[in-house]
Amino acid sequence: MDLLEYQAKELFSQIGIPVLPSQRITHPRDLKGLKISYPVVLKSQVRTGGRGKAGGIKFVENTIDAVAAAQAIFHLPIMGCYPEVLLAEAKYNADREFYLAILLDSSTRRPLMLGSRQGGVDVESKLEHMQQVVVDQEFSSFYARRLALKMGLEGELIQSVSSVLEKMYNLFVQQDLDLIEINPLAVSTTGELMALDGRVVADDAALGRRSNIAAFIATIPDTALPNVTGNEKGKLTSDLKRVQLEGNIGVLCNGAGLMMATLDLIHSAKGKTASFVDIGGEYRHNCPPETLQERLQQGLDLILADKTVKAVLVNVLGSVISCRQVAEGMTFYLRNRKNTPPIVVRLVGDRIEQAADLLAKSKIPMTDSLEDAIAKTVILAQV
Amino acid sequence: MLFTSDSKVIVQGIKEPLGSVYAPLMRDYGTQVVAGVSPGYAGESLDGIPVFDMVEQALATVAADVSVIFVPPYEVLDAALEAIAAGIRQLILITEGVPPLDIVHLLRKAEATETLVVGPSCPGVIVPGKILLGTHPAALYQPGTVGVVSRSGSLTYEVAHELTQAGLGQSLVVSIGGDRIPGSSFQQWLQILEEDDGTDVIVLVGEIGGDSEEAAAQYIAEQIDKPVIAYIAGRTTPKGQAIGHAGAIIAARMAGMGAEVGTAESKLAAFKRAKIPVASSPWQIPELVLQVMQAEQAQQA
Repeated sequence: MDLLEYQAKELFSQIGIPVLPSQRITHPRDLKGLKISYPVVLKSQVRTGGRGKAGGIKFVENTIDAVAAAQAIFHLPIMGCYPEVLLAEAKYNADREFYLAILLDSSTRRPLMLGSRQGGVDVESKLEHMQQVVVDQEFSSFYARRLALKMGLEGELIQSVSSVLEKMYNLFVQQDLDLIEINPLAVSTTGELMALDGRVVADDAALGRRSNIAAFIATIPDTALPNVTGNEKGKLTSDLKRVQLEGNIGVLCNGAGLMMATLDLIHSAKGKTASFVDIGGEYRHNCPPETLQERLQQGLDLILADKTVKAVLVNVLGSVISCRQVAEGMTFYLRNRKNTPPIVVRLVGDRIEQAADLLAKSKIPMTDSLEDAIAKTVILAQV
Repeated sequence: MLFTSDSKVIVQGIKEPLGSVYAPLMRDYGTQVVAGVSPGYAGESLDGIPVFDMVEQALATVAADVSVIFVPPYEVLDAALEAIAAGIRQLILITEGVPPLDIVHLLRKAEATETLVVGPSCPGVIVPGKILLGTHPAALYQPGTVGVVSRSGSLTYEVAHELTQAGLGQSLVVSIGGDRIPGSSFQQWLQILEEDDGTDVIVLVGEIGGDSEEAAAQYIAEQIDKPVIAYIAGRTTPKGQAIGHAGAIIAARMAGMGAEVGTAESKLAAFKRAKIPVASSPWQIPELVLQVMQAEQAQQA
């Protein structure tokens, strides 16, 4: 989950990474009370990249221009997001701009430090200058010096840039981040360093133990906290989500991979998925298999609330609870409901004949063949 | 083979909701579950399995080679380190939601002690007919010579089911989990299956996201002689709105992979370059497996 720039800079400031004095602007009139000397830069606080190119970053010389610029930025959607906050900082005279980042590398399965002497807006086009260092063992300052040297830094910059890298690494570990990036790290003519822009991505799974980060995220508009299983012991995770697409088939599966495969196969069979709910979650420590019936019913609630659904496919495989129990859960749920769209159930495993009998009484076709279940659902949706 | 019916297994988190369900199932399958560990429950037993407060306490009474871990996500690292400290060298981490930096920390210790780590967020390992280390629904599997390595959970069950239905039993099925930093990689398991005399054909089950399949395809082309069949889920999953991270894009480009790495197209292209057949559905996997088996037999004749 991305944090906003001003939140990233708050974290930087706490750990000692140099940032400019800044002021948060929540309304253009706030600029009348601006405590920063002109020229000033106003920056849109949205989670997406490319703010500069989209016009979300403006330099202004005086209050009148600042107010006008602020008006413009507040009304400028960037990748569909409007800012609720702008950040005002003094314009900084950079002699050079470096790029520094730390992220998790999945092939080495270690944190990876990236650095370039050619930072700034077009860093991606100058990859020949980008250097990397894998933090193979427990971090020590020499890893940072290794990157500084690879970047071609000399003299005092080796130590000063290493120091910033070290602080970035500490923040990365202390806050369970997936990514921390400073671009540009401005270098003045006197060798002073300043993080002009900061980006922080917090790891979703860790949010349950990083309440400060969760608090930051809670203030970002249009952002729902991801499902976190790590925090409350014994609390059943019941926040199933329905993902909306465009079509006429509703799908329930137990598991993300199985869901993706089922959607692929519906597509191959010329069906169109309207929406889907993953009722899995079987490796959540507090979500024992017995809760499948509950999740199935919650999933059905969500899918049946989607009026574009003309047929439903339920694909449940490999649960500890028997097929018969799944069937019981379904028939009980549907008992007093009228006008539900046709449902096709695909089950495999224990007590499957009993399940078939039970479901047949409710006129719900059941098969253990995924291919047949999909074909049948596609046909029913077209009726 | 790493895991046999002689392997002695402890279950950490045996009194947790998942542990208490799956420890007896593992034992009933024939796995030698010699002890469980859940702090505060020493002296009790779960369905006949003696419970201890700590791993080292359990190992004072019984010998064990493997630990299957069901503790809550923020306790997984500690449980794993405790097991390694007590001498366990094979860990299966089932729980979902473990922060990746915890796995990084664990891997540094695991690699230094040559400890195998599977997971987290996975159903674990099954050697059909011999041992169940995790949550695979054992009835769907049968012994045979097809090795399966997967990132998925229930999709792995689906693939095993299709193979079993076609009479193609499995030598070993492992899911490495879907987390960004897995305890063991596709490459490690491909190598294990390559060296396993009981495995003739390998099936690799992948998903969109990350670069595991691209890296695996390259590894297969360079290091694996046994035939491999692939299947990828997520070809039609709509691409989410990408919040472009310069850092991630840069890292991908520097690793020699296109900025498209992670997409279905990127993975299919990688398999094509490595001449690995890709199934178009789970039920096509047995067809392709049979084809390569017959081709191998024809070659040897």
